[in-house]
Amino acid sequence: MKRTLPLTIVLGCGIFMLIAFFVPVRWFQDASQTLQTWYLGVIAFFVFIGIFNLVRINVLKIQHKRRDWQFSIFLLIFLAGMLLAGFIGGPDGTVFLYLFQHFQIPLSATMFSLLAFFVASAAFRAFRARNPEATLLLIAAVLVMIGRVPIGVWIWKGFPSLVEWIMSVPNTAAKRGIIFGIDLGLISMALRVILGIERSYMGGKD
Amino acid sequence: MFLIFLILVKGISVNAYDTPNDDGSSVTVSWESDIPYSSILILRSEQKDGVFEPICEARVGRNDYQDTLIVRGTFYYYQIKAMTDEGEIISAITGPTVASVQVFNTGRLNIFVAIIILFAAILFYISRAKREKLFIRKIPALAAMDEAIGRATEMGKPVLYVPGIMDIDDPQTIASMSILAKVAEKTAAYGTTLYVPTARAMAMSMAQQVVKEAATKVGRPDWYIADNIRYLTDDQFGYVSGVDGIMLREKPATNFYLGVFYAESLILAETGHSTGAIQIAGTAMPDQLPFFVAACDYTLLGEELYAASAYLSQEPVQLGSLKGQDLGKLIFIFVILAGVIAGIVGFQGFYNLFISVH
Amino acid sequence: MHFFDRIAKIDRRIIFLLIGLAVIIPLIAPLGLPVDITAPVKSVYDRIEAMPEGSIVVVSIDYDPGSEAELYPATLAFLDHCFRKNHKVYMMGLWAPGITLGNIAFQEIAPKYNKEYGIDYINVGYKPGGAVMLLTLGRNVADVVATDYQGLPIDSFPLGRMVKNSRDMDLVMTFSAGDPGILHWIIYFNARFGTPIAGATTAISAPRQYPYLSSGQLLGLLGGLKGAAEYETLVGRVDRATAGMDSQSIAHVVIVLFIIMGNIILVWEHRRKK
Repeated sequence: MKRTLPLTIVLGCGIFMLIAFFVPVRWFQDASQTLQTWYLGVIAFFVFIGIFNLVRINVLKIQHKRRDWQFSIFLLIFLAGMLLAGFIGGPDGTVFLYLFQHFQIPLSATMFSLLAFFVASAAFRAFRARNPEATLLLIAAVLVMIGRVPIGVWIWKGFPSLVEWIMSVPNTAAKRGIIFGIDLGLISMALRVILGIERSYMGGKD
Repeated sequence: MFLIFLILVKGISVNAYDTPNDDGSSVTVSWESDIPYSSILILRSEQKDGVFEPICEARVGRNDYQDTLIVRGTFYYYQIKAMTDEGEIISAITGPTVASVQVFNTGRLNIFVAIIILFAAILFYISRAKREKLFIRKIPALAAMDEAIGRATEMGKPVLYVPGIMDIDDPQTIASMSILAKVAEKTAAYGTTLYVPTARAMAMSMAQQVVKEAATKVGRPDWYIADNIRYLTDDQFGYVSGVDGIMLREKPATNFYLGVFYAESLILAETGHSTGAIQIAGTAMPDQLPFFVAACDYTLLGEELYAASAYLSQEPVQLGSLKGQDLGKLIFIFVILAGVIAGIVGFQGFYNLFISVH
Repeated sequence: MHFFDRIAKIDRRIIFLLIGLAVIIPLIAPLGLPVDITAPVKSVYDRIEAMPEGSIVVVSIDYDPGSEAELYPATLAFLDHCFRKNHKVYMMGLWAPGITLGNIAFQEIAPKYNKEYGIDYINVGYKPGGAVMLLTLGRNVADVVATDYQGLPIDSFPLGRMVKNSRDMDLVMTFSAGDPGILHWIIYFNARFGTPIAGATTAISAPRQYPYLSSGQLLGLLGGLKGAAEYETLVGRVDRATAGMDSQSIAHVVIVLFIIMGNIILVWEHRRKK
């Protein structure tokens, strides 16, 4: 029963949603809409579960003075501060906006900026012409990197057109192939989940 | 049952018809005018000789309107009033028109046929798998899983499993949870610590359930520690900085990145590389695959992530679905080739089969 | 230790330092490299130019502060263009942090053209639900949008009353950093309702959109900071994106030099083994 009921729900909902895609009858569409709205409600509820888990783990860390417990204090202070600022002043409140513009934006941008450095170190380590395919990858990467920035135009006026061709033809063809494969794999997995053949995501005995 | 009248009066033609492929809740009114107008008012009545009430003022540039303010089963007449430089022009009356329900959206017939073909291919091989052993090629990333977890056990270091940054409504996260179950069984059996930081609360709950059940399955329920599977934050870069922190503090010997990743993929992989971990990645995000391929030891490419659970279980029925998926792929390859030939010879009809109607 | 051995074992921090200098120096001493215009960007520009005055453009802010560096300049340039052409902007977002960024953009651009909130532009706020929400939005906006981002009734604004379903939207422009984002708009909005979709994405995601560009499902694309710089050039607005192009150019050259060095080391190691 422990697994039969969830599997039955998955089967029923999966087949229903599939039918609803093809049948425009109002009852089907309304019911489909309701199911999806319920899902949104569940997600909203789980936000609180996540926050509760985060607070609980960090409070325990402070209580037991585990390694780096001091950082947990900062986490809880900023979590509470941001929540209060948002609730009291709203999304346009002075404090909330100040925290958002002067903390969240720069911190997120900083983490994103790490990519520039990591791309360089990864390129130095990995972009080696070990075999013909790697050589092709290497040449395409170099051409696109130079051709996509203004210095490419400065070096050779034909660079942007060459890069557009690389993006529009071989890149598009490869992306299409990958996307086809991924989507077919997705449909196959979805069918396995709906039919209850795939159960390992539920845990427990197969 | 509906009637269509195309009536030309003073350069304005108006046409009202049942909106196709809907639930019978609207009538579409369309018009064409060879006289420029500054505004269009759509009028409606239930009687041809009744009073026509305005129901909508359409914006200039539009030439159709979907009237959803109808009562089902009621016949309506429509008329257009246009304001032009020569003054007000009223079109002739069109109708009676009634909205009706379409039971099947014929605009999606091509999608329906494609799904039937694919499902048939998958079900065919699932039934065949019950009778005979099917060959599935080796997937190096999955074959290396045992070795990777064994390495962590020997070094006395933990295993880090990152299930992506999206929620459980994403199929990649579901696929990742299926693989997590297998990884958790092995780490529980070996007594190796497993960390699973998540970016979504629902994913955390699912991961906790999966890992706990895996520990119970191998007879090690005491190994399970709920706090090792924790929620960090929904914020993308907040999450990746949290995971990086775990990597730099705990120094796991093996990192798994399986699920949905965006820009943070390279940040995770490079940080993991700097700690000396063996890294196995897998995602169906085509943009992130190159980064994982460049920075990780093994990578599951796209559909291999979805196939992983079937591959690891080695259950005949699940393996059969993989073969069916490949058959579906073969069919689509032939369709593409046929499309290329049709395009070369100029046979537009073949192309029209794949157009979806709104 | 041989020179190439030293380079092969180079500390990552030296690579990071060189990249840092490659980015910072052009910001201090700009090179002024010209920005060429590519077809996907021009398509977006031409569409805005061609639309009649008063057209309604839905702007979807689908990114968070992490992608602000690439997508915010594109947002500013696009809003500048829309307001200059007297189009109406109906803003919403599939990502919660994007709404604040969108408001900041409005505060920067709208006063320049004396645009009034509720009449010329509006922000209806964050709309969760991804695909489900978009399908509902296209059918009947009122089922998704009851208030603006401040909680005021949407019908109290003239622009709020004008947009009832997808047929009232002349163009959707999404500034997208991931999921949900541009693909959702293409798959669930354009495919279902036929509304033209244009997009601006981070440079990483741009290659993935090319199949949709070539099939016509995507009208045009601003890819990364370069796409934003191209749009700034088209609208005559020299701003952050254009300023960043010199740095990006030099950084790319430095990375290519690293790649070349890496391959020279590979060749040298092969020869040494022989």
